[in-house]
Amino acid sequence: NPIVLDLAYNFIDFPSLENRM
Amino acid sequence: PIEDLFDSLNKHIQRSEFEQAVKVADQVLSIAPGDEDAIRCKVVALIRADDIDKALSTIQSSQRPTVDFSFFKAYCLYRQNKLDEAVQSLKSQERNIATMLLESQILYRLGKMDACIDIYQKLQKSKIESLEINSVASLITAGRSSE
Ligand SMILES: [K+]
Repeated sequence: NPIVLDLAYNFIDFPSLENRM
Repeated sequence: PIEDLFDSLNKHIQRSEFEQAVKVADQVLSIAPGDEDAIRCKVVALIRADDIDKALSTIQSSQRPTVDFSFFKAYCLYRQNKLDEAVQSLKSQERNIATMLLESQILYRLGKMDACIDIYQKLQKSKIESLEINSVASLITAGRSSE
C-alpha cells in the first residue's frame, strides 16, 4: 500500500508558557 | 522559583532539546504536582523525543483527570498500533482538523478506506500541506484512483 504521512504529528503542540516565566 | 524552571523549559523546547525539557518538566512537577502546563510539556516532549510508551504512561498516571489528554492519548495509541483504543480515545474529542487527520490515519490502517476518503474530502478546503499525498494513497488503496 502507498505510504501515508503522519500529518497529525504536526498538531502535537507545546502549550504557551508566556505567562509562566 | 518555578518561573525560572519554566524559562529553562521554554529554552529547551525552542532548541528542540526534548529530553532536557522532560527533566525540567519533572522538576516543575516535583514542586507543583499536577501542574497542567508542565504535564502537557512533558507529554509533548516525550512524543517529540519518540518515547511514545513513556508519553502514554505519563498521561495515564496524570493526577489531573480534569485535563483532557484524549488527543495525545489517541495519538500515542495510534503510534503503538492500538487502533481500536485510539478510536475510543478520539470519540470524546471535539472534531477539528487535528482529530480528523488522526482519525483518517487510523481508518487507513484499519483498512476503512471509504470513511478515510470521506474525511480527506471534508478537509480539502482547509489547505493542509501534503494532505493530497494521504488522500491519493487512500483512493489508490480503495481502488478509486480514477477519482
Ligand atoms: K488526565
